[in-house]
Amino acid sequence: MLEVLHQLGLGFVHLVTLANALALLVGLVVGMLVAVLPGLTLVMGVVLALPFTYGMGVTESIVLLTAMYLSGTYGGAFTSVLFRIPGEPLDVPLLWDGYPMARQGEPARALGWTLLAALAGGLITAVSAVALAIPFAKFALRFDAPEYFAIVLFGLSGVVALSGDSMVKGFISLCIGLLLATVGVDETYGADRFTFGVPILKDGIEYLVVMVGAYGLGEVLARMEQGFSTPPMEAGRKVETRLPPWREIRRLKGTVARSSIVGVLCGIVPGAGATVGSFVAYGVEAQYGKNRAKLGTGIPEGIVAPQLASTATVGGHMVPLLALGIPGSGATAVILGAFLLHGVQPGPQIFQTSGDMVYTIFASMFASVIGMCLLGYFAIRPLIWVLKLPEAVTSAFVALFCFVGAYSERNSVTDLWMIVVFGVVGYLFERFRFPIAPMVLGCILGPVAENSFMTSMIAYQNDATIFFRRPISGVVMVMTVIALAWPLIRYLRSMLRAKRLPPDLLAREAKP
Amino acid sequence: MKARVKPMLPYLALLAGAGFLYHHTETFAALGRPGQLGPDFWPRAVLVLLMLVCAFEVARLALAGGAARAPAAKPAQHAEEEEAPRYPWLLVAGIVLTILYVPGMELLGFFVATALYLAGFMLVGRYRRPGVIAASSVLGSLAFVFVFMKIVYVSLPLGAGPFLRVSTWLMAMLRIH
Repeated sequence: MLEVLHQLGLGFVHLVTLANALALLVGLVVGMLVAVLPGLTLVMGVVLALPFTYGMGVTESIVLLTAMYLSGTYGGAFTSVLFRIPGEPLDVPLLWDGYPMARQGEPARALGWTLLAALAGGLITAVSAVALAIPFAKFALRFDAPEYFAIVLFGLSGVVALSGDSMVKGFISLCIGLLLATVGVDETYGADRFTFGVPILKDGIEYLVVMVGAYGLGEVLARMEQGFSTPPMEAGRKVETRLPPWREIRRLKGTVARSSIVGVLCGIVPGAGATVGSFVAYGVEAQYGKNRAKLGTGIPEGIVAPQLASTATVGGHMVPLLALGIPGSGATAVILGAFLLHGVQPGPQIFQTSGDMVYTIFASMFASVIGMCLLGYFAIRPLIWVLKLPEAVTSAFVALFCFVGAYSERNSVTDLWMIVVFGVVGYLFERFRFPIAPMVLGCILGPVAENSFMTSMIAYQNDATIFFRRPISGVVMVMTVIALAWPLIRYLRSMLRAKRLPPDLLAREAKP
Repeated sequence: MKARVKPMLPYLALLAGAGFLYHHTETFAALGRPGQLGPDFWPRAVLVLLMLVCAFEVARLALAGGAARAPAAKPAQHAEEEEAPRYPWLLVAGIVLTILYVPGMELLGFFVATALYLAGFMLVGRYRRPGVIAASSVLGSLAFVFVFMKIVYVSLPLGAGPFLRVSTWLMAMLRIH
């Protein structure tokens, strides 16, 4: 332990060089910018930054990319909370409570909670990366496809929490998302699925297009139907960044503990990542949180849980990357590429051969957390000022961001048509009270779920009991069953109860 | 009878759609290997779940006589939104404008099409300050061209004919190569 702390101290000393400090600062700023822009994904940002690292040393390169990765999990919070446009898939759960809180006239408070959650998640992730790196090398070797499938299924069970008024509509929305994810050439057999002979569908439907179209353009169209009649937010009031008081923070210690565990675990499991962590943390909060009944109405728990968990996954991802050389996400795959470009092969031996570099990277994670929070704090004011602009003007630019973001992914006009289609779908979902979130969840997690399921079935001769027989996946599967069954029972009971009660009594009971 | 069936219609339509897609999975079912689950397994599992959920809702509505009582009252926020005045023509105009923007971008190029789209969108959105509309549309489009073509290296559409020349001139002015 003392040895680890000593090494970490030396890492901080190595970090204080001009090259490392500059790499850290640039990484933080670019990471936040990329995450703020809807459609420009964090992975795409890290990929674009990779060529700029060719001329750098290996440590600066990894510091730059890690800083981008870390601040990228936070930057998208601004557009989610303020405009209901998730900059990244991981920001989707954040808008369910962040946006309502902002619409209730408290955008500064919502962003204050986001900042605190990012700070807590960042510090937890940095500590966990330092503490878990070596022990993890032994434990993670037991993970296989069934464990991945169990984790993703647990993430999908979050649909229970996202269904709003109707679980039926939530499940339908989830199924549509899962089906959209199957369009295109399947990865296991190379078979064309639901392409109907249309060549452009062979590439599949990008979850980004579904997400940005349904959430961004759909919301803009819904507001247009209402004549952009929402008054500018905080009009006539001085907007300040408001960090929550200590007594409010203390009340969320359960949320912080649950989301930290979820975040770090999802980070460690390759493939799960920040998006799954964010969804699972929100789902866990919806199942076990003290204020679960109020989730979705704009409460701090709904902001803290996903933000904290998504930031907390970063350190978790760095652990298998450094200890085993296994990237757990798209961004860490690019970081692995940067290591290899500089002739460094991550693995258990890296702690002996390049200990200084590893602990400088760990130290940079602590510095990145502080830096991104400072950047976030000072970036809040100008962003909130944007909300004072007329709604028609901001909405026009939001629509434009949706188009350009979707186009940037593949430089394809087809994606622009897709944005229009999913914009209309998103509007219809809003209009008829179908929740959009489960559809997006299905689109994002569907391919991961299918791949890990098919791999398990091929490896274990179609024996589905394997998911319950393996200890780790078994525990997660039991958690999934409980997560799905309990709200279902509650829902059926409330339906039966509603049937028995006279309407006037029912209406009286429904009133708060 | 009509009132009884109306709420079931979306679910019946989904049920029919899911049935059609289930039938369609047979086209790629044959590509699987013997003794292994084929590429049709996962979509079929999802479609079965979708059909079960739709059938459950149809049955529930049928048993409740079409006017099934929800387990809980609608949240106040939803009630407020439903009471808010709606302008369907604005929505139609917005959708048409958005649809036109896509081919417009290929014909007019990103800059011209975007400036027109932004201005049109603000006008449709009942904003009536021509100076602000013109300035924000032109400057906003320029900013997008600069950021995405010069910094992020996205190849935005340049348009055709005379509009291609406009885009090329603009790129030269902004030193985008």
